[in-house]
Amino acid sequence: MTKKLLEIQNLVVKFGGVTALNEVNLHVNEGEIAALIGPNGAGKTTVFNIVTGYYKPVSGDVLVDGNSVLGLRPYLIARMGLGRTFQNIRLFGDMTALENVATAADALNKSGLLSALFGLGRSRRDEKRSMETAQSLLEFIGLDHRAHQMAKNLPYGDQRRLEIARALALNPKVLLLDEPAAGFNPQEKVELGDLILKIRDKGYAVLLIEHDMSLVMKISDRISVLDFGQKIAEGTPSEIQKNQRVIDAYLGVAEDAS
Amino acid sequence: MKAKAFNLRDIFGDWWESATPIQRGITRTVVIATFYALPFLNNPVIDTPETSFKSVLFYPLVLFALMAVGLNVVVGKSGILDLGYVAFFAIGAYTHAVMSARTSLNFWEILPFAMGFAMLAGLILGLPALRLRGDYLAIITLGFGEIIRIIAINTEAIGGAAGITDIPGPTPIFGFEFSVMDPRPYYWLTLTLLILVIWGVLRLSHRKPGRAWEAIREDEDVAEFMGVATLKYKLWAFIIGGAVGGLAGAIYASKIRSIQPELFTLNLSIMILACVVFGGMGNIWGVILGAVLLGYIPEKLRFLSDYRIIFFGLLMVVMMNIRPNGLMPRKKREKFQEKIS
Repeated sequence: MTKKLLEIQNLVVKFGGVTALNEVNLHVNEGEIAALIGPNGAGKTTVFNIVTGYYKPVSGDVLVDGNSVLGLRPYLIARMGLGRTFQNIRLFGDMTALENVATAADALNKSGLLSALFGLGRSRRDEKRSMETAQSLLEFIGLDHRAHQMAKNLPYGDQRRLEIARALALNPKVLLLDEPAAGFNPQEKVELGDLILKIRDKGYAVLLIEHDMSLVMKISDRISVLDFGQKIAEGTPSEIQKNQRVIDAYLGVAEDAS
Repeated sequence: MKAKAFNLRDIFGDWWESATPIQRGITRTVVIATFYALPFLNNPVIDTPETSFKSVLFYPLVLFALMAVGLNVVVGKSGILDLGYVAFFAIGAYTHAVMSARTSLNFWEILPFAMGFAMLAGLILGLPALRLRGDYLAIITLGFGEIIRIIAINTEAIGGAAGITDIPGPTPIFGFEFSVMDPRPYYWLTLTLLILVIWGVLRLSHRKPGRAWEAIREDEDVAEFMGVATLKYKLWAFIIGGAVGGLAGAIYASKIRSIQPELFTLNLSIMILACVVFGGMGNIWGVILGAVLLGYIPEKLRFLSDYRIIFFGLLMVVMMNIRPNGLMPRKKREKFQEKIS
């Protein structure tokens, strides 16, 4: 039986009177790329904001590797193994690419401010680990030649990839990607797909929100579809493509002519 | 390679990176020695009217620089707007004034207490306040600065509105006497502490705490998503800033020998904040330059009596238009590498 690294159980989320998510169940298995699709406003990003601890659900539970993370501060959930990217790029603009990644790598180091101030050996070892992690991740995404440039000065595509590297620096059990292909041309989308496959092959599970269907269908192992806060379908890419409810959700249902 | 524009900072930066440890050591020694030698400078051009250059060096210059470096950790590094920094300065000053009267401890033994109480104040203020952000947090810090002053006015046990007089100076150390007449030992003392504080802050800046602070400044939510314990590091920024403010306050009280609550008004908070913004938020060297200039210019303009404030204001407006990010902005030195593939 495969291990569920991320599991969302009966999640209900309300914003005022609006029900953003209603009894949603989702999971991400070890070693798979799971995709979450749906029309705009279906609640996809809300799922990310719930599992990373930014919003609190009305009811339901979120398990990371079998442990409930409900009510934990976001930084603790991140350290437990959830790294995310953002629909609108949110890098630390005035920091270099290397520092962006190292900041996330730091989270896994135990040594704090006092040992940094007094130069204890533990802090020095941690500093070395952060820098090496950051450097090797920049090499992994092919940005090592831009390590010492400020994030805000990087080209758009590099910024998107830098966000992925930063999330990977948390050594996450599940990598959450929020529309990573947004704004990419077809060639860049193919490269991104290859990168995501490479990330899965390194042993990270991926939960992908994406509107680009050709990318989703090509790389996903399993797809869940949200519509108006409800999960309307789940299955392999070929099953989803044939599912009538999904087609209706995307294309709309014809009104009865009567 | 991109053509490089002429830039003093890059020229010096490139040289510094290629310098040998011996060259760096010599440069450091020369620069530090120059600063220690400043009180011996006797030059009518830099002398200030009405006050001697020696005393201006201590207050405001080096004391402003010390406070600006402390406030810079909070405002420049972590992006938390603190409008009540004077509170920590006041706590340090009152700690020395009260403890030297009530206990048998001397100045040097009281210093850790002055810093400790200021740090405690930072923690007590920060725990509830740092859950807020932006304008709301700024208003709370503003209120905190006023509250400390008003408490001092209304507490007879610490002198009330009349304040405390006959505060002893530091006891002699390494052969230096701290007399009322000679400001030079105070300058050297503060300069020494300033160098220590710079060393500590730079050390933190280049490691995990510095990155955490910058990440919080850039985007607090994202910092939290990336595993940064944001509340903890914001508290640390407050505590470190407070400790430096308390340190400055204790030295100040030991020099001027009598303090009143009215010395610790909002004006001083604003002044130190102006040093930070004017010099270049987040750049420790810029902030020191800002403190030196903003401390010096009003003294130099003393011959204009009260009109000097107008010129001072004008200068600020012009400067902020020419260099909105300060004299020496915090921009990082970027290195461009060719892609090897």
